Amino acid sequence: MAEPAKEVPKQDDEKLSPAELKKRAKAEKQARRAAQKESTGAPPGGPPTANGAPTGEAGSNQQSKQGDQKQKGQQQKQGGQDKTQHKRSGSQAQSQVLAHRRRPSQGGAALQAAVANSNVPKEPKKENKQVELFSHLYTQRRHTVEGVSKDVHPAVLALGFQMSSYELCGSSARCVGMLLAFKEAIQAYTTPLGTSLARHMTTHFLSPQIDFLKSCRPISESMGNAIRFLKKLIVEIDPSVEETEAKAFLCEQIDIFIRDRITVTDQAIASSARTQIKPNSVVLTYANSSLVSKTLLQAHADGIPFRVIVADSRPLYEGKNLAKTLMLAGLEVEYTPLSGIAHAVKDANLVLLGAHSMLSNGRLQSRVGTASVAMHAHQADVPVIVLCESVKFTGKVALDSIVLNEVAPSEELLLPQPASEASQQSAGEDKDEESSSSKVKQLGDWRDIKNLQILNLMYDITPAEYIRMVICEYGSLPPSSVPVVHRLANEGV
Amino acid sequence: MATPPAAAPRAPSSGAFDVAEAYTKLLAEDPDLTMPVAAIEALILGLANTPASTVSETLDLVSDLTARLKRSVANPISLSAGTDLFQQYLISIFQKPSAHGDFDQVRSHLVQNGRLFVERAKAARETIAGFGKHFIRDGNVVLTNGGSRVVGSLLRSAAESSNASGRGSIRFKVIYVVSGEDAEAQENIAALRERDIPVATIPPTAIAYCMDSVTQCFVGAEGVVENGGIVSRMGTYQMGMLAKATGKPFYVVSESHKFVRLYPLGQRDLGIEQNVVDFRTAKGKESEDAKEDEGVADMDGASAAGGKALSGVQEAVDYTPPDLISGIITESGVLLPSAVSEELIKIWF
Amino acid sequence: MPSVVPGQAPSLSTFLKTLKSKDIETSIELFISLLQRRQIRNSRPCALATTQLLLRVVAGERTRDAQALITRIRNVGRRLVAAQPGEMAVGNIVRRVLGVIREVAEEDQDQSATSDTSTPTSPSQSASKATPHRPGISSTISSFSPLHHGGALPHDMHARPMSSGDITPLAQDSAEQRPQLGATSPSYAGQGPTQVTSLFGLFHTPQGASPAGTPPPGTQSPVGKPAPRQKDAAADSKLDIKAEVIDGIKELLDELEVVDSQIAESALDHIHSNEIILTHTSSQTVQKFLATAARKRKFTVVHAEAYPNDHLATHATIVNGNRKADDSDSNPSDADERWKPLTSMGITVILIPDSAVFALMSRINKVILAPHTVLANGSLIAAAGAATIARAARAHRVPVVVLSGIYKLSPVYPFDTDELIEFGDPGKVVPFEDGEFMDAVDVVNPIFDHVEADLVDLYITNLGAHAPSYLYRIVADHYRTEDVDLLAKEVV
Repeated sequence: MAEPAKEVPKQDDEKLSPAELKKRAKAEKQARRAAQKESTGAPPGGPPTANGAPTGEAGSNQQSKQGDQKQKGQQQKQGGQDKTQHKRSGSQAQSQVLAHRRRPSQGGAALQAAVANSNVPKEPKKENKQVELFSHLYTQRRHTVEGVSKDVHPAVLALGFQMSSYELCGSSARCVGMLLAFKEAIQAYTTPLGTSLARHMTTHFLSPQIDFLKSCRPISESMGNAIRFLKKLIVEIDPSVEETEAKAFLCEQIDIFIRDRITVTDQAIASSARTQIKPNSVVLTYANSSLVSKTLLQAHADGIPFRVIVADSRPLYEGKNLAKTLMLAGLEVEYTPLSGIAHAVKDANLVLLGAHSMLSNGRLQSRVGTASVAMHAHQADVPVIVLCESVKFTGKVALDSIVLNEVAPSEELLLPQPASEASQQSAGEDKDEESSSSKVKQLGDWRDIKNLQILNLMYDITPAEYIRMVICEYGSLPPSSVPVVHRLANEGV
Repeated sequence: MATPPAAAPRAPSSGAFDVAEAYTKLLAEDPDLTMPVAAIEALILGLANTPASTVSETLDLVSDLTARLKRSVANPISLSAGTDLFQQYLISIFQKPSAHGDFDQVRSHLVQNGRLFVERAKAARETIAGFGKHFIRDGNVVLTNGGSRVVGSLLRSAAESSNASGRGSIRFKVIYVVSGEDAEAQENIAALRERDIPVATIPPTAIAYCMDSVTQCFVGAEGVVENGGIVSRMGTYQMGMLAKATGKPFYVVSESHKFVRLYPLGQRDLGIEQNVVDFRTAKGKESEDAKEDEGVADMDGASAAGGKALSGVQEAVDYTPPDLISGIITESGVLLPSAVSEELIKIWF
Repeated sequence: MPSVVPGQAPSLSTFLKTLKSKDIETSIELFISLLQRRQIRNSRPCALATTQLLLRVVAGERTRDAQALITRIRNVGRRLVAAQPGEMAVGNIVRRVLGVIREVAEEDQDQSATSDTSTPTSPSQSASKATPHRPGISSTISSFSPLHHGGALPHDMHARPMSSGDITPLAQDSAEQRPQLGATSPSYAGQGPTQVTSLFGLFHTPQGASPAGTPPPGTQSPVGKPAPRQKDAAADSKLDIKAEVIDGIKELLDELEVVDSQIAESALDHIHSNEIILTHTSSQTVQKFLATAARKRKFTVVHAEAYPNDHLATHATIVNGNRKADDSDSNPSDADERWKPLTSMGITVILIPDSAVFALMSRINKVILAPHTVLANGSLIAAAGAATIARAARAHRVPVVVLSGIYKLSPVYPFDTDELIEFGDPGKVVPFEDGEFMDAVDVVNPIFDHVEADLVDLYITNLGAHAPSYLYRIVADHYRTEDVDLLAKEVV
């Protein structure tokens, strides 16, 4: 079954042609089946850990090479402390929260399979658990190597799994990670006889890598912009240029891109945003944006006295990592679940938000829940400032959070059984065998409960009127100027 | 409006008594007196000075006095709250069959107890002032306008109350919107500053600018109209709009005897003439017929023709619709604007 | 959740069981401690427990004097309210019971006074020549006696459309309680209620309070003068006050029992086919409402989980309906009937985390919320997250419907909404094992949100559906002005 997948890359197509989509769907289906097959055989934890170990190493190798990238470098320095921003390395001393957050998402397919397994007779009438409204967004995330094209470079492979498990999370971090992996892949590339690098590389070498990454988790706008940049570079390479030279050129350009569009930019944005933090003010933020974190740390380092409120939500608990980072840096931090946002906004003087991407109609796509925070802040007349590199700007537009979004596995929302209910859970386990409907069910059984769906969205769209300012490397803009900067920065007009 | 037709100037023997003069005199003598109460007082004095022996004669007399009183002032909205209330009260008494025999008793009652009503009206204000401490908390910044007496006493009372912790008085700040010379406002400001309350004064043009630092707004009213909106000094409406736009609570402080049976549909529907918008060219005023047609509706016979036109923005009033009002603080508690209509309906039917 | 001792926590049911066997003072103390320790919480259990307890208290009283009974209930009520001011349902029930006693007492007064000359006059008699301008439409007409405290006031029986006939006697009684100081005008100093219900207040006693207003705590409320009444009561009581009051309290219990069914009755008026409805937390009222609609119509429910305080209960409700294995602290529901989960009725239920509320709101047709408390100005206190939902609904022009039993309706005017917000256990947000984090970071977990009145489009109560602007009237119908402020010293 894995065989046809290997032929996939040979097909010719430039962008996201229907053929490619179909191809992807096929690959996903295979992955899904594979996951089920595998997990029924092997213990659920098996594949991810197996992949996890090399991944971590590969990651650190890349990082050490990129010592000048302070954000990664910083992280290396503070290695032992479990404060990771962009990258959540599972190998390091990681918070318990992350530990059990990760479990359901990775073991998702396994769990599902296990459930299906225990209820063998039920399998045929398996209900579609996708929320109709978002059916266009459902993808199966790949967690295993099964069915992966042999052309996928090991570095990309490792990266893909880091992404699907949120070990590598955050739009710009994923972008950097992807470019670094591509760099390694490019080094390993040799142009086949009878063709040129410019003509062959994009379609036959880069595309499988990209497709694989997409199958692990839908790619972000910043990754899309970087890929466009890279493809443009490759196409423009003179066929007469020697291969090694061309590869060196590409790697150099990638490094420049990372530096100019992300690393230096981040620093510039943080310095600019930092001036918005007034002494004795209260800054509210939501989830964990590397830029916000950088800004707050810099303001603190500059000796400005201020307080931070970090709002957070299930299931990723990203804000907790930010709160931890800030706490370790010695800031005064308040941490509240999103349910307390109406209360938190009353104290705040400024709201700083990170972005997944800025859309051309001035709206912000960011971690789901951001819109609620911005809405309350807008209502309370607290300025909302979005920090966003121009590499995350996109030409796309959206009016609501339905069309452009990402649906994460529902299993991430299931709770680990609290300790107090342990006894009950053991009772729940024998229930699996009888699976009688009269038994008290747990939410974990949701796949058996007809008509019950669990929706785990990744992003939402914040209306432009809630956003008072966008800070990017081109300066401070009103949200209406996003398309202007997008043309300037990403389309080279 | 369905109030008694005031077209009967025949008025048996009321000619001797000048109700308008009595009204102005009452107001001048007692600066704490509100217009509706002064109007009631004037009517009672008129009643006392005029022999009337039957119920209908008395009612006619009161209608006549009311009409004359209203005609004598440019803006009868506030006083009409008092006169209407009084008229309605008389009617409701005389409707009672058992009262017929005791007509004289009723009359002497009224005449003898005029002062009592005044005292009660003042007591109402004190009651309202007592609510101040519930609204104002430590650290609040209160925005208010002009020299409403009842707002002034509410703030003073808050300044004198002890705070939630029981230690010391409530610490709050006040932003006073002052336009031009306003003796009453100055008096209120001085009184607050004496009580260690920091007061800032701003011109009406600066309201929007300071709205973000304000916790809540308190305004007085000349009249609370039927839909729960208020007629109040010029500038209240814009303050209400700004408070609404920034999501700040906007409270009206008013004794319930200022509830008036008037239902304005908009600013031009107040039944009074205010030459606020005065178009001019280099040649002078626009031609007479093109003149702004500002409220020519008549209030209980006090037609625009009879009343003097108000001049200048100083004395002018505007109408604040109920959707801008968070609550009306009266002596009987905090009413929602939607409750005003019920209160008014109750005295009329 | 460290607050729960598994299986051991005395909850509502155990409290109710012990109520009969223990003596009254012990029961009161027990209830107070349960309230303080949050072992009885949420509006419904509090309301039930309070009603049952007060029933016991009344039954245990020997006095036949209404005033003494009122004082007794007030004192007990004051202690209960002080034990847990956040549970407004306790105070509401105390006020309702006080209202019952007053009503019974006044009825009694009235009966003993019917022989009096001052029979209330019918408005129909007054189509007199003296009123050429306005027809005296209805209601008792007030009379004028400014010197007499017992001056009659206009009473608006017609303006109390919600009162189920319980107001009428009230209209005629209380004049009797007042000392008739002067005898100058007895003939027209007819009967009227203690409340100064109208603008004519100027001509009467100055502190009169309108029932439509919500007097702030600490103000004097006019309270019936006990002195003459006691004399009367002792002399002429024809009724067994205690029995009447107990009947009244039992009616209150019945009301609490059927409140959800009554609210659910109108479900079909508000939910049509193919709607997408968003709700929040686990509420028996909302579940019943939706279930009633589900019998006839197919729709979709989007259920926000209310992390971190109610999400477990929410999950349990979604998965199992009200069929609970353990007596979870969040909903001691043994006393409540059981119901099936909506999913088993063919309703698609989509569980979402609270963060996705804004994202989904553009596709929602209707938001249905259940409050913790409804305040007199039409605003409400509900589980944290409700403010986000209501505001997001407003941003998307989605109607917000609030389902609330009358017992949740509090006459207290929210002067400072921050005071009403309770904070929960930070351990629900961050596990206590995370010691370093807990020490260094201020973890804040508000349990409630305040939702402004203008974000609510409709209230559905057991009496019907009302606009938020009409709630003041319902408050006025259910609570006596003199009882609004329970903590105030009684004015004698």
